[in-house]
Amino acid sequence: MYDAPTPETRLTQNTTKITARGVQVYYGDKQALKDVNVDILDNTVTAFIGPSGCGKSTFLRCFNRMNDTVASARVQGEILLDGENIYDKRVDPVQLRAKVGMVFQKPNPFPKSIYDNVSYGPKIHGLTRSKTELDQVVEESLRKAALWNEVKDRLNEAGTGLSGGQQQRLCIARAIATSPEVLLMDEPCSALDPIATAQVEELIDELRASFSVVIVTHSMQQAARVSQKTAFFHLGSLVEYGDTSTIFTNPSDPRTESYITGRIG
Amino acid sequence: MPILLLIIVLGVLAIAGFVLGRRRALASVEGNTRRLHSLPNYYAWHGAIMAFLPAIAVLTLWLIAQPLIIERQLSGYFPTEQFENNSQRILLMADVRRVAEGLDVAVAAGALSETDAASLSADGSIRERLAGVGVALGADVTPQVLEASQAYRQLAANGGLWRSVLTLIVAVAGLLYALRITNGDFRARNRVEGVILGVLIMASTIAILTTIGIVLSMLSETIRFASMYPFKDFLFGLTWQPSFQGNSQLGLLPLLWGTLYISLVAMIVAVPTGLFTAIYLAEYASPRVRSIVKPLIEVIAGIPTVVFGLFALVTVGPFLRDWFAVPTGLGSSGSSVMTAGLVIGVLNIPFISSLADDIINAVPQSLRDGSYGLGATKSETVRQVILPAALPGIVGAILLAASRAIGETMIVTMGAGAAAKLDLNPFEAMTTITVKIVSQLTGDTEFNSPETLVAFALGMTLFVITLGLNIFALWVVRKYREQYE
Repeated sequence: MYDAPTPETRLTQNTTKITARGVQVYYGDKQALKDVNVDILDNTVTAFIGPSGCGKSTFLRCFNRMNDTVASARVQGEILLDGENIYDKRVDPVQLRAKVGMVFQKPNPFPKSIYDNVSYGPKIHGLTRSKTELDQVVEESLRKAALWNEVKDRLNEAGTGLSGGQQQRLCIARAIATSPEVLLMDEPCSALDPIATAQVEELIDELRASFSVVIVTHSMQQAARVSQKTAFFHLGSLVEYGDTSTIFTNPSDPRTESYITGRIG
Repeated sequence: MPILLLIIVLGVLAIAGFVLGRRRALASVEGNTRRLHSLPNYYAWHGAIMAFLPAIAVLTLWLIAQPLIIERQLSGYFPTEQFENNSQRILLMADVRRVAEGLDVAVAAGALSETDAASLSADGSIRERLAGVGVALGADVTPQVLEASQAYRQLAANGGLWRSVLTLIVAVAGLLYALRITNGDFRARNRVEGVILGVLIMASTIAILTTIGIVLSMLSETIRFASMYPFKDFLFGLTWQPSFQGNSQLGLLPLLWGTLYISLVAMIVAVPTGLFTAIYLAEYASPRVRSIVKPLIEVIAGIPTVVFGLFALVTVGPFLRDWFAVPTGLGSSGSSVMTAGLVIGVLNIPFISSLADDIINAVPQSLRDGSYGLGATKSETVRQVILPAALPGIVGAILLAASRAIGETMIVTMGAGAAAKLDLNPFEAMTTITVKIVSQLTGDTEFNSPETLVAFALGMTLFVITLGLNIFALWVVRKYREQYE
């Protein structure tokens, strides 16, 4: 029911990018995430799988402090990015989000031109010194997102006028334009058709060369196809974390096996 | 039969239709409701509607038509030239009605017998006799008026009788028809649905018809004005100097300038304040603060404008005069463009903030997430993502507020003065179209001189301006609405 990992995507030894220790998240009185410990590796695609409401998206949003924008959310524990606690008082969440980019479930291009969508991040962070440099960043980001050839002649048209798959790749280009170190993807293909999904998945694999990618997905085939590491969440707890091939072929926890064989979830 | 009683009888018939319709439907299927096409209550409502609606329609038409027909019949009692003049006819008919009502009251009180009332002749005694039963007549009753009112009583009594008879016949016929067609297969549900649709359509037509009526009446009076006063001078005249002795100069431009200047000041106050309020409420305020602040701001919208006018007259005007106008040497008047503009601006704040708040809230959360996810701050997100996405709606809100500012009357009357001037100094008293409409029509006036009829031309101008603004607002909203879908 899933593709076996191909040899070239097999995990190579990498340094740890993000370390999460004892992370707990509460929405009001309700605990959404219980005591999660994970090490996310650099230049690796890590997939978070699990049934709806298991806390995987909540955990993903801890990495760039997007939970700060939810008034009722409270995060405990520590998350280290390159050894530095991102929940430290001295860390500015706005600066953090430039380093940890995010792509959302539904493509959400701004109602602006394609060019303005991509140049949004570099502009607000002042990453470029001249228009030529900005043009270069836009082109490079669109090329990395495998969108350049499709839109290079209509950069001034509205980003909302693109197809769903193109919009999602535009959002990826927008996220990588700020040259982040980590790219978070929250079910990036759930609103896309199979062809667009295949394009985005191919892209994710290429992005691994430059970033640490964390992806939340409901599709186990997708997790198996694109990731090297997989974490399985259930009812707010991290059940199992390991190499994707191990999780899918030889899971150690009976709940993981039940989920990937379709008995729970 | 009095109309109230008639309506009560119709109500009773409707209840009968309700009960009988239901009973008959049930009887036609031997009480097995599953064999009915519709639920039993639909047959009941169908019976009630058929008994009530056609009859009430006939009654309404009769009530509208009867006075017109009677008036035509009474024309024989008066000289034709009197009757052809519109205002004289209205006065005469009012007299006739008043005397007829007086006779009715006298008969009811026993001061006159029915035959006395019909044969009474127009000597001086009629005024005293009617005064004795508490009916005061203004002018002397001429023989023609008395005869006409006696004829009026006769016609009205006949009309009343036939009205009742016809209404009841229609009601009973409707009821019987409903009962005749009621059986298990009759689609009462669809019929009732149709009636509901009709009622809804009628309700929505009323507003449209009223608007059309207002426009037509203003248009006809404006055309009359144009026939008495050169319309070109009205549109492009630079002086507003009405004088009831004639030789008026009725130039629109000073009033239009005052209107636009005051509205401009008002919008300069209201747009930024309202917009910033909306941004604070929608993006920054905690739910608790929002639940307190929003209703408080909207309280302003509930204050009558005349109270705002008082505020302008007593507080804002003197304040501006003593602290700004006099020290800077710009003027010495408490009433000024600034006074009225500021107060109208404050009045419009909740209007803009409330609409803009709704519009900003309608911008999808995903756009905010996208911007925050890229490391934008709140104000960057508002400025670069939310406001552009909400722009069409905000423009619509601003234009609606502008048409409110243009149409505002009370505050301008009390705060801006009454002098029609073309001046750039905002501390100078000026006046607006609305104020002049009021001042041309207050007092004892007849609608036959250009000085009064100009009010309609002014009203028409105002209507055209606000209509233009509203159409523009709708166009902006429609053109850009789907941007973030």
